[in-house]
Amino acid sequence: MCNCENTYIPIPMKVERILNENPDRSLRTYDLSFVNEEDKNNFKYLPGQFCEFSILGKGESPFGIASSPTEKDILKFTVNRTGSVTNDIHHLQVGDTVGIRGPMGNWYPVEKFKGGDVVIIGGGFAFTTLRSMLIYMLENRADYGKITVIYGARTPDLFIYKDELKEWDKRDDLILHLTIDRPMKGWGGLCGFVPTITKELALDPTSWVVVCGPPIMIKFTLPVLIESGFPDNKIYTSLERRMKCGIGKCGRCGIGSKYICVDGPVFSYEELKKIPEAF
Amino acid sequence: MVKIKKTELSGLINYLSEKYQVFAPVKDGKKTSFQKIKSADEIIDSIPNTNLSPKSIFFPQAEVLFKYDENGIKVPKKDEKPFAVWGMRNCDAKSVLMLNKVFGNAHQIPDNKMYNDPYWKQKYDSSLIFGLACNAPLSTCFCNWFDGGPFDEKGSDVFVIETDDHFIMNGISEKGKKFLKEYKKDDKSDIDKEKIESLKQKAESYLSEKVDISNIYDKLNKIWDEPIWEEISSKCINCGACTFVCSTCHCFDVSDEGKSGKGQRIRLWDSCMFPIFTNEASGHNPRGVSVQRVKQRVMHKYNYFMDNYNEHLCTGCGRCVLVCPVNLDIREILKKIIKV
Ligand SMILES: Cc1cc2nc3c(=O)[nH]c(=O)nc-3n(C[C@H](O)[C@H](O)[C@H](O)COP(=O)(O)OP(=O)(O)OC[C@H]3O[C@@H](n4cnc5c(N)ncnc54)[C@H](O)[C@@H]3O)c2cc1C
Ligand code: SF4
Ligand code: SF4
Ligand code: FES
Repeated sequence: MCNCENTYIPIPMKVERILNENPDRSLRTYDLSFVNEEDKNNFKYLPGQFCEFSILGKGESPFGIASSPTEKDILKFTVNRTGSVTNDIHHLQVGDTVGIRGPMGNWYPVEKFKGGDVVIIGGGFAFTTLRSMLIYMLENRADYGKITVIYGARTPDLFIYKDELKEWDKRDDLILHLTIDRPMKGWGGLCGFVPTITKELALDPTSWVVVCGPPIMIKFTLPVLIESGFPDNKIYTSLERRMKCGIGKCGRCGIGSKYICVDGPVFSYEELKKIPEAF
Repeated sequence: MVKIKKTELSGLINYLSEKYQVFAPVKDGKKTSFQKIKSADEIIDSIPNTNLSPKSIFFPQAEVLFKYDENGIKVPKKDEKPFAVWGMRNCDAKSVLMLNKVFGNAHQIPDNKMYNDPYWKQKYDSSLIFGLACNAPLSTCFCNWFDGGPFDEKGSDVFVIETDDHFIMNGISEKGKKFLKEYKKDDKSDIDKEKIESLKQKAESYLSEKVDISNIYDKLNKIWDEPIWEEISSKCINCGACTFVCSTCHCFDVSDEGKSGKGQRIRLWDSCMFPIFTNEASGHNPRGVSVQRVKQRVMHKYNYFMDNYNEHLCTGCGRCVLVCPVNLDIREILKKIIKV
């Protein structure tokens, strides 16, 4: 960070590249570069953090940072078109200027994970910050043990980062399980919901595990992990709520006495258990 | 202590106005609220308490965060003069201290400037608050439940006691002491201690008996799933009036006005009482039903804030009690909860 004197002021970013992630064009990935050198140097983040993406005249929306801090010079966001701000983001063209505020929130404890095995469980387009973490760990491969990825989507079209998934599948230092909800012609991967697949894979419960996806997926995956013997303090997830300020003032993203924007979005299951509103 | 005749107030306001923008309780249409004043003539008695709380001085109902046009983003100019507030009652002075915990800092990362609210700090940090002892609390007041009282000095820079013909002023903070010293020579000889004590006792006698709510935090931890919440919230029509008048509610919305070429980003008071507050783009709403929202208001004030800042986010000012169209009384809610 930051715009230290005034956190409400977005920093200018230029749209460098836009990629359609799926045929119905509802998911797009934006690579942004910093307009000012100084902003670039001040922007220090870790996988799991998010930004408020600002379209002047329309408003702001929070998005997880999909790039890894090891990818220099750009910030990546994958945006699902669903409402007013995201619709305007989808109208952006290469070369346009937008604003971002951040990095906000906490991060996946990649330091703590060092030396351990890591399981990443993701669903749908929530794979964004998981991509960030995966790239980060692959760049620092020697620091981590076995890396397993379980990634589910309703249909093959709905996976994001398809080219990278192909690359990751080829690597021998990473185990990738892709699954779709129901069998489909031409699909060579697994079939079944993420919680079911997680159960079948009989994961090693001494690993660290990060789960991120639609609320319903998280809700059904956590009990599977607990049953498999993962301790509460080794299970992490990332939560979403409506947000405005992103700095713990506006009250919008409160769950219990925590604010997701500053105390989260990343929480261990140990922490979440104590928050009545969390699920 | 400094004692001035009530007729000298006008001089004090003029003196203050040289260095400060002065705010005081005024008649504002049909309502009373704190507004910027030019002369002491505009000031009304702030007891009974103003309809709208003085939080608006430091945290306006609508505030421009920045303006934008083709040349970029511009933050509104800083107010050139700091703020002085005359006649903020004890409970309200305390509420500003609570809000400063939220806006002036954050419990999470106290040293990180990123978590300051610059708009709040710019107004609050340089301000001078004249707290006013409350000589005649209303039947809706319950500051005594929160270790407050009509003569509580917390949050005031200068604490003012109003007698029949005089204002007796006492410097509380360093800022307040310094101001008084410059303003007028200290004169203790002339202060009638007994008179002050009797005013204080009289004021306290207006308050109904203190209810011990020391177990409310623990109780709230235990009753999340209890049916009592249905009972408590059944009357509420979720109008949000309680949170609007509340001196300690700080939730806000951020929204853009204007077209993409030119306009402004503003923040506006918002309320956890409204379903849209938490409604997400997917249609999912974590607090979709009224009972969850009433629970949120009670939990935030008497449990969550305690977790983060070790006190209740309520001063017992009673505004929410006065304003509620269906007579939902927060005191009755608290009494029910401590008895569960
Ligand atoms: C920490 C975090 C990370 C996120 N990461 C991503 C991501 O990587 N990719 C992605 O596509 N989406 C992500 N989201 C969800 C995304 O923020 C919302 O889909 C988006 O705000 C919807 O805005 P809208 O204006 O298009 O929708 P509208 O329905 O028009 O919403 C209006 C306003 O509601 C708020 N809002 C609505 N839904 C949500 C929601 N689910 N979460 C937060 N705010 C909401 C926003 O403040 C928005 O400005 C994330 C949300 C959070 C909290
Ligand atoms: S909750 Fe009611 S009594 Fe308490 S500070 Fe707010 S308005 Fe005053
Ligand atoms: S003023 Fe009364 S009815 Fe309106 S939201 Fe508050 S408690 Fe509910
Ligand atoms: S977004 Fe404002 S408190 Fe979290």
